Order: sequence, then structure tokens, then C-alpha cells
Amino acid sequence: MKKIYAVFGAALLMMGCKPNVIVTQTPTAGRADFSNYLAIGNSLTSGYTDNSLTVSGQLNSYPERLFEQFQLIPGTKGGSKSYFIQPLLHSDNGYPSAKYVLGYTYNACTGDSSLGPIPYPNFVADPIDANRYVWPNANYNLGQVNNLGVPGIRVADLPVAGYAVNMNPYAARFFNKMGAANTPFDEYLYRINSLHPSFFTMWMGANDVLGYATAGGVGDGTGLAAPAALNIYNTTDITPTTVFTTCYDSLVRLAIKTGAYGALINIPDVTSLPFFNVIPSNSLIITRQSEADSLNALWAHYPVTKAFALGANQMMVYDHNNHIRQSIPGELILLNLPQSSTSCAGYGATQAIPSQYVLTTDELQNIHTATTAFNQFIYQEALRYNLAYVDMNKYLSTVYSGVEYNGVSYNAQFVTGGAFSLDGIHLTQRGYALVANQIIATIDSSYKSTIPLIDVNKYNGVLFP
Amino acid sequence: MKKYILGASLFLSSLSSFGAGYQINLEGLRQVAMGGTGTAWPWDASTIFYNPGGLARLKNIQLYVGASVIMPSTGYSNGAVTATSVKQTFTPVNFYVGGPIREGSPWAVGLGVYTPYGTGLQWDNNWIGRYMVRSSQLSCFFVQPTVSYRVGQFLSVGAGFVYANGTLDMTQALPVQNILGSDADSKLHGAGSGVGFNLGVQMKFSDELQMGLTYRSQVNLNIDGGSAHFNVPSSLVSSFPNTSFGTTLPLPQVASFGIGIRPTEFLTIQFDLNYTGWNSLDTLAVNFSQHTSALKDLHAPRMYRNTLTPRLGMCFKICKELSLMGGAAYDPTPVTDGFVSPDLPDADRIVLTCGAAIKPLPRFTILAAFEGTTSVKRNGMYNYGNFAGTYQTTAATPGLAVYYNF
Repeated sequence: MKKIYAVFGAALLMMGCKPNVIVTQTPTAGRADFSNYLAIGNSLTSGYTDNSLTVSGQLNSYPERLFEQFQLIPGTKGGSKSYFIQPLLHSDNGYPSAKYVLGYTYNACTGDSSLGPIPYPNFVADPIDANRYVWPNANYNLGQVNNLGVPGIRVADLPVAGYAVNMNPYAARFFNKMGAANTPFDEYLYRINSLHPSFFTMWMGANDVLGYATAGGVGDGTGLAAPAALNIYNTTDITPTTVFTTCYDSLVRLAIKTGAYGALINIPDVTSLPFFNVIPSNSLIITRQSEADSLNALWAHYPVTKAFALGANQMMVYDHNNHIRQSIPGELILLNLPQSSTSCAGYGATQAIPSQYVLTTDELQNIHTATTAFNQFIYQEALRYNLAYVDMNKYLSTVYSGVEYNGVSYNAQFVTGGAFSLDGIHLTQRGYALVANQIIATIDSSYKSTIPLIDVNKYNGVLFP
Repeated sequence: MKKYILGASLFLSSLSSFGAGYQINLEGLRQVAMGGTGTAWPWDASTIFYNPGGLARLKNIQLYVGASVIMPSTGYSNGAVTATSVKQTFTPVNFYVGGPIREGSPWAVGLGVYTPYGTGLQWDNNWIGRYMVRSSQLSCFFVQPTVSYRVGQFLSVGAGFVYANGTLDMTQALPVQNILGSDADSKLHGAGSGVGFNLGVQMKFSDELQMGLTYRSQVNLNIDGGSAHFNVPSSLVSSFPNTSFGTTLPLPQVASFGIGIRPTEFLTIQFDLNYTGWNSLDTLAVNFSQHTSALKDLHAPRMYRNTLTPRLGMCFKICKELSLMGGAAYDPTPVTDGFVSPDLPDADRIVLTCGAAIKPLPRFTILAAFEGTTSVKRNGMYNYGNFAGTYQTTAATPGLAVYYNF
């Protein structure tokens, strides 16, 4: 009888039983100190998205995400260190030009309307954004800036005198050192001295190859081109490796001069970005034999590797030496190729696509050679200064082909892939959060810290009208 | 040439729904109170479900009505984010009528209406797993006309034809945001039916020892012409047309063995084993009648495995008017590692039960039962959407039934 009462009671006890799955994991800093964080980098670090910089882009940059996670570590919070100061813009429309949004464009030639990225229709240039950044006069150090992400900046630009005055509107807004003789190095020295960072991340170098790539490889590309003026290399060219290594090393030394721990983030393979992969080089679709015949006649005296036929054909292009030839599989057509040029002017078919919109095999080789050399050096630097090495190139290559995250598939599909913004180069808020998680994972394994990961899907991807 | 936006496809991660353990073991309140055992001993007309072979053992025609109230709660955590399911209650109802065709006849007939499968889980709209599931619900009932024949003092057999009818509802967010950042969503609603059977053999070795064997066939719930409604930004309406869908949900076969002993007049002990053929659910497929580059048929792998559930129950007769029951069961999950999905995260469950039978009038009995269930904490991953976390589900289920012997 007693037994029965015991069972009877046990079942009723379960009435008050609630699921209890809260896993209490206190975040820890491991060997590092995340209390005073500095981010160094280019547009990817500034929060640049949809072809421009906006306040909401800055507030959703990966350094902002990292700062928020660092703050979850007990003892990290406190005083001025609880602020993450970004040189915020005043407007959300885009600076200096309009951000992209999804909208309809009418193609007068085909008579079709299609949905795609367009400049924000209500854009008005904000006069305040063109002024120097003003610190909002709060309780933190005047001059404290935690995000030194400057859109457009290259490693090669670091020793350029008058850079902020003459060469970069973002530097003109953000920089304190505005003299004609001041270089970005001077600015970083000033910021690092006033901030005394305990931890930094550095994601530099992508622009040292990207400018060449987005210009369709029109520059020299071998890394041997002479500077246009003292220390000034063409933005449409690849930075010479010796210049890259010297300047990169100097910047790392600056970053660690106050004893900071840090992470060096390497350069992604830019040629896998949506910008270079939306228009396949074989998107010349021929539906009538007469069309194929006339194209074969038209290009009879040019190198056509595969005669035009019904179906998909490789398009006609100007190559690196500005000679007309048929493109070969694997060569890339750039997203900025005007849409009307293909649908009406016969680009790729009756007219060769200008070289500035084409990355040919030799140009692609130049980009890969430089990226490999730069990343090899960044890896050596991480070893040399005992810093974490974030292989973002490897991670983004998985994103390019598609990663599953909490029920969402992120990939490099233009517009719909979710990770890349409407410019096809920079990331969405979600893409930046994915990147931040990858940085956290590397920091954790390098410094034995336990920093919570970010719920990526809390933030915005591409917004549809 | 390049209307890239229209050619691109959006990814529906799973449109997953229901899932593991959508079996409900609440078909008779006395059996519930005894840990879910009841294959061996024909206590009342609910034996139409538990063992149709036992129906020919009833002395009179009996009318039986019962209901339970399930109050489940599921918790989720991935270390950084926690969530708790929205409170819901479900009320499966049982109805049985049956007995010998005339007093003393070896032939008996009956009809049962009961709910052997069902599930429901709802999460907050903005929870971390919303792109996999926001809510899922399966409701169904079985109607079972039954005939039973008593071969002799020792053996009786029975068979029932099963007609099943059910509805399925699934909602989830789609990874597409409108201009305000709100998620698109999909709502699937469908109804369907299926058929099967329920066979039983009941053996009475003596007044002290009885055994039972039953086999309940798989029932495929065929859902046709369900409605698929997509709420998406206007620029994507043509990519996500509202359409209809079809799917087949296997409600698995169950083979059971039961033994009951009555060492004294006052105590009955029952032991049951249920072998459930969950492996018929290897993939969940939803087929839309209209397809676009963004909207394709869904195939969510599930890879369930068969389970063996042991159950133990006791009934103690205090006096003629009052009995007390208690029991326990260990219900292993059919969900394999790598397929623990948030639509119905499942883990091995521990079930404790108790109850009472009160007989205020000679022909009238009231049954009360309470079942407490908790799953073990399970740290699981759903590979299909790369969604990981720790889950636990608990449920408190009180129930009440009455029956009358004519």
C-alpha cells in the first residue's frame, strides 16, 4: 500500500516540473583583455553596406557586434571602456553618395521593369556629413575613437601625406590629423596613443587588390608598377608586395605599441564576390540560327574559340591588352556593366565588352597571386607578434558556396543570398554578424576565451519592397 | 538578359512540422493511471483500443467517455539564447461503446473514437528558430468499429477497422524581410484521412494471470489540397504564390505485448512492451501544386528509429467502491542524433502516473488520472538547418472518464 502512495505522490510532484535548460556559461576573457577594443580596417570594418556608409550601417558593423559580445564578459564593463565610439555620420541616406535600395527600374530598350538595386530615390546630401566629425561631448575621452574603419583605405595608402585632405572623403570626415603633411600613420598613432587599446582587430588589405578587380584589371597588375607620385599608387592597380609588407608591418607595430592583444584578419578572395559573378561570361543566348551565322561572319577575323551556335555562348570582350576576342569559361563579367548595353547595344554579341568590365584569365591570376602573397605575409605577422590569425578567406569561401545557419541558407547569390549587400561586395548586417562570429571563434581558440556567439538572424539582411 | 532578381531562388529551410513522439498514450484513463499498460487486462470498453481481443470479456454493453488535458512546455537554450514555448493546452477525447451482442454471447461488437497521435508546439514569433518553425500542430482522431470473439475460457480475439481523420498546421518565418525588416511567413493548413486496423489476442490463463498481444497497423494520413499561404513583400508575390499542398504523414504501427498478474484480490500488476515502427518516417515531404524558382517541394529528412517502450502499472483495490492506481514508463525517443528539430524536439521521456477509480453506483464508475512527463535534457542538432541547442519538454496531464454498464 505504501508503494502505491509513493508512486501516486511522485506523479503529482511532476505537476510543478518545468523544463530547465538554461545553460549557465559565464563568458571569460582567457589570456586576453577585451576591456578597451580598437578596430582597424577599411570599408568592411566601418560597416559600409549597399554601396555607401550610413549611420545604421555603422551601428551594425562587425566591430560594434564584437564590442557588444566583449561587454558580456564580467569585469569588461566600466567607465569610458563601456563606450564604443564610432565616428557616426549624421544621415542614413548614404555618404557621400546614395545607398542602394531594391527598386524597380524601367528598361526603355526592352520595355521591361525589373527589381534590382537602385540608388536610394529620396537621397539628399547631408551637409553635416561633409563636415569634420564632432564628438558628441559625453562622458568619454575627447578623441576616443574605437572604430578606425575607413572606407577605401589601402595598406599602400598608410604613408601618403595629405591623404585625408585630398584622397578620401571618409578620412576627411573622421581624421583628426588633417595637415597636408599628415599621413594615415600619423592618425593611427594619435588614436592609439589616446585610446591605449587592450585588444584590437585589424582587417586591412582587401582594397590593395579590390581596386584592380573592380576596375576590370585595367592596371598593370603585376605589382611592379611605379608609383604615380611619392608613395602614391594607382587605386586601380595591385599594391606592390614590398610596399604592402612594409606598411602592414608598421601598422601592426603601431597597434601593439600599448601592449594590446589582437587578431589579424586576412583578405578574402574578392573574385568570388557576387559583384564578379552575377553575369556569367557565357550569357550570350542565341535562339535563331541566323543570329549565330551573322555573329560568326562578324567575328570571322577575331579569335573565336568556339563558333557561335544556338544556346549559351561565350561573350565577346576586350582583353587585358585591349584586343577583341571571345571570352573563355572562367573569365568574369562585372556587375557594373550597364544593363542597357547588353540588352540593346549588343554588348558581348555584336560589340565586345570593354576591358573595364571584364576580368580575364591573366588578370584573375594577378589577383590570386597578390592575395596569396598578402595573406601569407599576414599569417607570418600573426605568428611573429603572437596574434590571433582569422582565416576570413577560408570562411568566406564557405559562405560563397553556402552555409546553413539556424534554418537560413547564406550564400553568394546576388540579392537573395542574404550575406552580401546590394553592391555585391560588402556584407549585410547579417553578413557582418556571421563574420563577427567567425572572429570570435578564432579569438576563443587563440586566447582560450569563451565569448558568446551572436544571434545573426536578429539583424537585417536585404530588405524587399 | 539578366533579370537576376527573378531567377534567384529563396531558401525555405525546412517547413518542418510535427516530429518526434507525436504519439499520445491517453486512450483510457485507468490505463493512463497505470503507466499506460492495458494490453493484458480488459478493464473496460477502452480495451477496444488497448486490446480489441478483450472486448468479448465484457459482461455488459458499456458506454465510456473520457478526456485529458495536456499542458506541455518546452525549453530551449543554446548557451547564449534561451526560449520557452508558448503555453497551450490540448484536450484529446475518448469515446467507447461496446460489449456482448446479448448476455452470455461469445460475440461482442463495439465502436471506439480516440486520439492516438497528435502534437502541438508554438514558439514566440521572433524566437531564434523562427526560420525553422513558429508553430506546428497535428490533431487527429481514429474511429474504430470492432468485433471480438471469445474462443473459450482461455482465448479471445478481436479486430477493428480504423478510419483516421486529421489536420495539420505549420507556420514559420521565411528568411525574407520587408522594407521594415519584418520577416515574411508561411502558413500551411491541411486536412486528410487514412485507414488501418487494430488486431488483438487476449489470453486468460487464470484469474491471477492474463496476457495480451496486439498489432495496430500503420495509418498513412494523406493530406491533399491543403492550403499554403505566403505572406511576403509585394515584390516577391509572384515568387511565392498562394497554392495548395499535399503530404503524407505516417502514423506508425505498434506491436504490443502485455502481462497482468493479480497476486491477491487487492492488487493487480501489469507490464507492457510497445514496439513502435517510427522508421517509416525517414523524410517529410511537402509537395506544392504550384512551383516557382523560389518555391520548390520540401524534403526534410527525419530518419526516425523504432522504439521499444516498457511500462509498469499497479492497481490497488481499497474497497469495492475505490481503487488507487500508479505507474511508470520509459518512453525512448525515435529522434536520432542530427535530426533534433525545434518543431518537436524529442528526447527519451520518463512518465509517472497515478489515479483513482470510484464506483458510487454498481453500474457507474468514475476514473481520474494524472500523468507527469519529463524528457531528459537533450543537446541536439538539426543538421538540415544547422540549428543546435539543448531542449527539455515537460507535460502535466490530468484526465477524467466515466463509464456505465447497461
